[in-house]
Amino acid sequence: MNTKSMVTILGVTYGFIGILPLFIGDSSILMRILTMILIWSVVASCWDLIMGYAGIFSFGQVAFYVIGAYSSAILSVSLGVSPILSIFLAGIITAAIGVIIGLPCLKLAGPYIALVTFAFQLALEPFLKGPLGKAIGSGGSRGIISVPPIHFFGMNFSSSELVPFFYFAFVLTLICSAVIVVILKSHWGTAFLALKDSEDFAASLGVSAFKYKLLVFGITSFITGLFGAIYVHYVGILSTRMLSMEVFTVLLIMIVVGGIGQYPGVVLGAVFTVTANELLRPMGIYRLLIMGGLVVVVVLLLPDGVTGLIKKISDLRLRKKERHPVEMRGSGEMKESGETQGSTL
Amino acid sequence: MFIEIIEVIISGLLNGSVYALMAIGLALVYGVTKAFNFAYGSFYTMGGYFAWTLLVSLGVKGGYYTVFLTAIPFLFVVGFFLEKVLISPLRKRSDWQMKAMMLTLGLSLFLDIGYIATFGPRLKSLPDIVEGTIDIGPFAFMNQDIVIFILSITGLLCFAWVLNNTRVGMAVQAVAQNPIGAQIVGIPKDRVFAATFAISTIMVGIGGILLSQKNFVNPQASTGIMIKAWVITAFGGMGSIKGSLYAALIIGMLEAFVGYYLGMIHIEVAVLTLLLITLAFRPQGLMGRE
Amino acid sequence: MMLNIENLNAYYGQAHVLKDVSISVNKGEVVVMLGPNGHGKSTLLKSICGMVNSKRGRISYKDQDIIKLPSEKIVNMGITYIAENRELFPYMSVVENLKLGAYSKNARKHEKKNMEKVFSLFPRLAERKKQYASTMSGGEAKMLAIARGLMSNADFLAIDEPALGLQPNLRVEVARIIKEINKQGKTILVVEQNIPQITDLADKLYVLEEGHITFEGSKDDALDNDNLKEIFLGM
Repeated sequence: MNTKSMVTILGVTYGFIGILPLFIGDSSILMRILTMILIWSVVASCWDLIMGYAGIFSFGQVAFYVIGAYSSAILSVSLGVSPILSIFLAGIITAAIGVIIGLPCLKLAGPYIALVTFAFQLALEPFLKGPLGKAIGSGGSRGIISVPPIHFFGMNFSSSELVPFFYFAFVLTLICSAVIVVILKSHWGTAFLALKDSEDFAASLGVSAFKYKLLVFGITSFITGLFGAIYVHYVGILSTRMLSMEVFTVLLIMIVVGGIGQYPGVVLGAVFTVTANELLRPMGIYRLLIMGGLVVVVVLLLPDGVTGLIKKISDLRLRKKERHPVEMRGSGEMKESGETQGSTL
Repeated sequence: MFIEIIEVIISGLLNGSVYALMAIGLALVYGVTKAFNFAYGSFYTMGGYFAWTLLVSLGVKGGYYTVFLTAIPFLFVVGFFLEKVLISPLRKRSDWQMKAMMLTLGLSLFLDIGYIATFGPRLKSLPDIVEGTIDIGPFAFMNQDIVIFILSITGLLCFAWVLNNTRVGMAVQAVAQNPIGAQIVGIPKDRVFAATFAISTIMVGIGGILLSQKNFVNPQASTGIMIKAWVITAFGGMGSIKGSLYAALIIGMLEAFVGYYLGMIHIEVAVLTLLLITLAFRPQGLMGRE
Repeated sequence: MMLNIENLNAYYGQAHVLKDVSISVNKGEVVVMLGPNGHGKSTLLKSICGMVNSKRGRISYKDQDIIKLPSEKIVNMGITYIAENRELFPYMSVVENLKLGAYSKNARKHEKKNMEKVFSLFPRLAERKKQYASTMSGGEAKMLAIARGLMSNADFLAIDEPALGLQPNLRVEVARIIKEINKQGKTILVVEQNIPQITDLADKLYVLEEGHITFEGSKDDALDNDNLKEIFLGM
């Protein structure tokens, strides 16, 4: 996607979300949903950057989010650090852990990365609940209650002040989205695309896969940790429930619906998923059943998510306009399995 | 002291043998289809619920005999069609592996929640396959443990026999070693993919029937089992069947010793540490090729 | 006519590799297809054998349209592809590779007989029955690939660059074997970048350049053709 349409879609989506509080600012339910859309859209965008662009099968995104949340909560509750400072420290801590995990991981083959990062998430829960976690102030299985709100310029940003918090998160969202766009459109973004096509080809261009991957892993971990941190100061309580498969799957759906590697599709995916998740909440357990089924159906029917669908529709229109018989088989949609593609023609 | 150690070893061997059954199924699927099945653990639970439905809910005649005789075709059909309907269409795309991971992750949530919706959130207990204990020297063995051990070893031997002595088994190996070569000699690759998926579903489902007797049928067990099978496969070398066998026994032992001497909560961390150390020195796992 | 191809077009991703290719091969013939590397020769053979998914046109074999058939059906009808890069099963022995060569239903019945034939044709392989394919030298692996192809009991062999990368003495050996197989009644379509010993066997020659057939005719026609002189200077 070119920069112009990328920025346009982002601008329209976030612009629309940004003015909504003027109309719905009184409804705490709607404001909460809107705020969560912002937070998840950034976390999911980071994941898309890692998986869809850098091609790292990382399944540790939720873990990084939770590490950010715990870091900031522990810093502010146990050490009395001001939340406005602790959220950035949390970002740095998460980035550092991201790099530490990334160092051994990024040299592994795809499935191993998925395994190690996913196992990392699974090991985080017993760690936080266990004696080691308690020693650093995780609060064990009770978690941390009464995390102080973010406070600066004499204002509180928390769940009791929904509109101010929304705009606080909004500003951070815009900044982080800008960072993501810059990364995608910079030399790095080009390098990722080259890496995606062929690691050998990229290596021949002098692109060091490892260096770029580690950098992007660090940056996305920072942003993810930051948003985990603002989330914890927003809700005020924290427990290891954040590490459940449910959170993981909901985040996954955003990418699946938006289209993996189709930024900013994932932002649209976040809007859809958070809203659908809330709308389905009265259905109790069937909500998750539907969400799980949704992943299956969307991956099968819309492999590139809504972005792919939009592209297909606009392609069709273009073709009609041109009245030009386009060779369908030549497009990327054709039936072809990687294995039958011999290297010699 | 000596008797304790022997008992810990035996319990490690018992778990290890069932783990081997499950991990080898996963290693097989990965080796042949190159797809990572995140819903693998959910078929473990499926095996447990299948047995519970027959034995407790319906109270069928023949007990576990009926369970095994019906579970094998049932799990085969489930696995075969899931591969045909869900995984196979993805294969046309170049990024299908990531898509397959995502899809099976969604499927896993769907199945696990589906179990809770159907059977309720409570754990279900399965009757023991046999009752009583037997004394051998200073050791007292539960007959159930012995039967579970024998059944999982039998399962492994059957699997090895099928793989090495039947046409289907040779075809499976051929696809794993060289999919293009397999196509050249006229092996129907798509059918082999589906059959492999189905065989692995049987293996993990049977694992579920065997272990759920001791650990209850638990709708939330899936993720843990999936990770365990996966860790074992990665530890042994993705796609290496022999590697998975050794890895399963080592991890079974490790769990038994750590659980006995340090406490159950340290098991996960210990297993993960072992995996990370192994991968740091041998990224391809114990017996992986290349 | 054994194999007849009309207006075949084939694609790899965005690339249009074969453009309206039409060829025909008669029973008992050796047809040699020449052309530079990367101009679609392998794609043509793979298309015949059902290993290229996006293609259109007509491919008929023994008067049956086979363009839509999956590779396993085509193998069973008696067409075998012998790959340039061999595509053996690396962690299987020579015998196991050969047995898998006879995987299709029609080949299974003749497995024993074909195994004997193959070992008499390739005495070197008979000495190495238990050896893993991955441990064989390039020349031996090539022989094994051809032998595995013969195990399929096919009437029609599509052979992809059989002499590529081989020592001159082995090229002669490969040419001898192709001649021998042909004498035993197999129809052969072989793709080459002009190995004289093999071109010499041709009953008919085609030249494939940039996806088009640019020449069709006998060896003598080819020698008369000025445009082909360049290609044949190496002869």
